[in-house]
Amino acid sequence: MSRREAVRAAALAAALCCTGASAQDEPLISGPGSTLTENKCKICHELQHIKRAQLSPGEWADNLRNMKERGTPMTDDEMRMIHEYLSVYYNRDKPAPAPSPDTLASGGDDPMQKLLNANACNGCHSIDKRVVGPSFREVAAKYAGDRGAPARLATKIRAGGQGAWGAVPMPPNPALPEAELQRIAAWVLQQK
Amino acid sequence: MENSKRTDESRRSFLTGVAGAGALAALGEAATLREALAQSAGAPAAPAGTVTNEAIKAAKVPAMQYHSERPITGSVPAHEHDFEFTPTDRVFIRNNLLTPDLDINLHRLTLKGLVDKELTFSVAELQKAFPVVSMAGMLECAGAGRTNYQPRASGTPWGATGGMSCPVWTGVRLKDVLAAAGLKANAAHVAGQGGDPGAVATAAPVIRSIPMSKALDENTLIAWGMNNGPLPKVHGYPLRLVAPGWVGSASTKWLHTLTVLDAPFKGTYMTGSYIVPKWPVKPGEKMPPDTVSTQAWPIKSMITSPAPDQVLKGTERIMVRGKAWVGEGSVGRVDISFDEGATWHRAALERERDKYAWRTFTCEYVPQRFGHLTFLARATDDRGNMQPIAPYWNPLGYFWNGIHRVGVMVVPA
Ligand code: HEC
Ligand code: HEC
Repeated sequence: MSRREAVRAAALAAALCCTGASAQDEPLISGPGSTLTENKCKICHELQHIKRAQLSPGEWADNLRNMKERGTPMTDDEMRMIHEYLSVYYNRDKPAPAPSPDTLASGGDDPMQKLLNANACNGCHSIDKRVVGPSFREVAAKYAGDRGAPARLATKIRAGGQGAWGAVPMPPNPALPEAELQRIAAWVLQQK
Repeated sequence: MENSKRTDESRRSFLTGVAGAGALAALGEAATLREALAQSAGAPAAPAGTVTNEAIKAAKVPAMQYHSERPITGSVPAHEHDFEFTPTDRVFIRNNLLTPDLDINLHRLTLKGLVDKELTFSVAELQKAFPVVSMAGMLECAGAGRTNYQPRASGTPWGATGGMSCPVWTGVRLKDVLAAAGLKANAAHVAGQGGDPGAVATAAPVIRSIPMSKALDENTLIAWGMNNGPLPKVHGYPLRLVAPGWVGSASTKWLHTLTVLDAPFKGTYMTGSYIVPKWPVKPGEKMPPDTVSTQAWPIKSMITSPAPDQVLKGTERIMVRGKAWVGEGSVGRVDISFDEGATWHRAALERERDKYAWRTFTCEYVPQRFGHLTFLARATDDRGNMQPIAPYWNPLGYFWNGIHRVGVMVVPA
């Protein structure tokens, strides 16, 4: 089967999109890299997949390569950080250490970053770099001075969609309450 | 599918447009997405174009045990299969991605690749163009029974007999459809591609291929019916492949494209999973470089009655009943033990009907004492392969076909 065929299927799959994160899924053990791992690994399935896997570090390396092939949007650097985290906290051969703060998480204790992490936004976005979606700075620059932007962005975050930045769609986020949507939209537009 | 044809142009134009996304190359499809979003407007609770888990579960028996919600997986224990064939509300669920909500009138099946002429069918056209056949056939996830392995292997934690079913399928033979298109001399594999929607644009499509020998088997179907009803959405509506007896992943759901290839398809669902070590590894070791793709299930059986922990009053005759099957070949015999394997008694085996269907076995027993009593079932195929106590361990926990054991209590009447 040609690459184009595969691409067509991916496109179609994307078109029929779905929710990104499931709110009910219990978080991973907190530790350096846990937030990144959650953001990347709960895009397609529950974090339960990780908790029940009981793998060795070598198997985690294979698993991560496989997950990247399956479409996990992660760079090699992120993959390395996730591998380190999983090898410490979800290692079949060694008990996990006590939970500790995620020193690698962007934003640390910042409530907005917590909200973005909890909804897996940071799996596809960052403040200053393009990941799957645009950086929040680019978004703020694009809509600078546009008074209708906060409401439009809030709607877009909830419904998902594509076309503003390219053909790659954003999945809908139906579980986010209106107040939080507005808070996020306002915050995004302040990123300069 | 219809949509992929219509938006061919827009797709081509953004193929270049998102090149910056690099290796992640996530590609959306403009028209379909807009349609999907339009459908969902005002009702954002269910992801556009997908079926909710609530709707799926509403059509299943309460005995269905779910192992995950996203993607949804679930099955019933052995005693819930104590029917001639598995009823639709008990057929196991195993998704890789989400459940698409497809329109049977818009759905198209395209056959392409190493064929003389490319063909496209609507479901109605397919039903008219070829002889329609119905047959019972085993569908069994490669990881069925995985939790029996020690140490635990990674993947859906199917219970001791979870992850398999034997319903009746209705459809047309894949070989008839291939013949209509005409196979080129170097045609060797057929890849099925389904329309499972991924959670992200980057999600790899679910594509698996089967060798031509299996594709041309008269029992390999393109099916639209299950147990004389329509195929439920979660089971592949409106069309799916059924490669009975082989690992379930060969039976592509939501089938929209068949591609004839000169070699096995290369993709994550072929090379990253559904593989076993070529030579057995020490339990707990990771996948070695030398692997083989999973195909037919080895000989297997299960006891469907009595149910585990059933309380039987008095030392009256007990009818032990169950099912035996094998992925290729046929079941030779089934033996039952009432003393933890010390002695074995040949069970009566129903005659073979559909080649890939399970066969019911029965064996009567009169308990000689009160207390806890166990039954073991052990099947042997026509080539002498016998179910082991525990099969060789493998990293992804595939092909569990160890002897099934059920315990009951016999108490004074
Ligand atoms: C693009 C979608 C996608 C993303 C993102 C993704 N996975 Fe997966 N993953 C899959 C699919 C598909 C399967 C196989 C189907 C299944 O088991 O649900 C799978 C299966 C697994 C399994 C097998 C175990 C089981 O219990 O079923 C593990 C472990 C796993 N993934 C870990 C991860 C980790 C760690 C990450 C984050 C780096 C990740 N996944 C991100 C698609 C994805
Ligand atoms: C799976 C990847 C993914 C996730 C998860 C994701 N986004 Fe996006 N996001 C995208 C993509 C891709 C776009 C570009 C869409 C477009 O071109 O219209 C985007 C666009 C945006 C935009 C700009 C919209 C516009 O019309 O200009 C904002 C704001 C945004 N996302 C916020 C969020 C927030 C907040 C979350 C978490 C609730 C989130 N995203 C989660 C991929 C994602």
